Amino acid sequence: MKRSYVSVALLLAVLFMNIIVTQFMVHQYFYENYTNTIVAAVINVILFPAAFLIYKKGVKIND
Amino acid sequence: MTDKNNKIPFNEDNYTHNINRNNERKLDRRGFMKTLVGAAGVFAVSSLPWGVLAAKELNGLGDKKYPKQKITDVKSLPIGDAVEFSFPGEHDSAILIRLSEEKYVAYQNACTHLRCPVFWKKDEGEMLCPCHHGKFDVETGAPTAGPPRRPLPEIYVKVENGSVYAVGVKRYEA
Repeated sequence: MKRSYVSVALLLAVLFMNIIVTQFMVHQYFYENYTNTIVAAVINVILFPAAFLIYKKGVKIND
Repeated sequence: MTDKNNKIPFNEDNYTHNINRNNERKLDRRGFMKTLVGAAGVFAVSSLPWGVLAAKELNGLGDKKYPKQKITDVKSLPIGDAVEFSFPGEHDSAILIRLSEEKYVAYQNACTHLRCPVFWKKDEGEMLCPCHHGKFDVETGAPTAGPPRRPLPEIYVKVENGSVYAVGVKRYEA
């Protein structure tokens, strides 16, 4: 069985992005830059389907 | 006797030795990826309320609207004098102070310590709560002396046709 850890690395990158964007979002909210807050929230929401697609791909190739 | 009770019957660290777990606790590559996707989902869901709150702020839905209320005529309020009124409700006592020809400030004058009324000391140029000698800065409403630690809530005023109107209450952040 040949494994690829590319998708795992990608998912870890996605999670790292999540953390950064969440931090940014909360801080921008308290600095009252509400447009930036919304942008960060949208990025955070979009990252979830991206993560799901990465997972799907990673599972399919190496089964 | 005591030895008998204090004995572990066989060499196991728990009593689940006969349950075959069948490797169900094992975290393989796929399980780890599932966990990561789940974590991304948690992040996505938890960022929704922030977006909603930010959108609410952008649309100004957080600001309460009150009908504007006439306080007094400009003519009847000399520079340096104050007049009491109530805004927005009839039990929310407030004070309007005319600092200069054009500059008016208004605060809800319940002291932020124990809600005694705050008065305007014209000769000393500060707002004083006589109960415990709390003092407030007249320009900003910030506490300057005594027990109060929070500023007085500010009321927005507008001058129109020789009259002073209260138009809104500043969002209170303390």
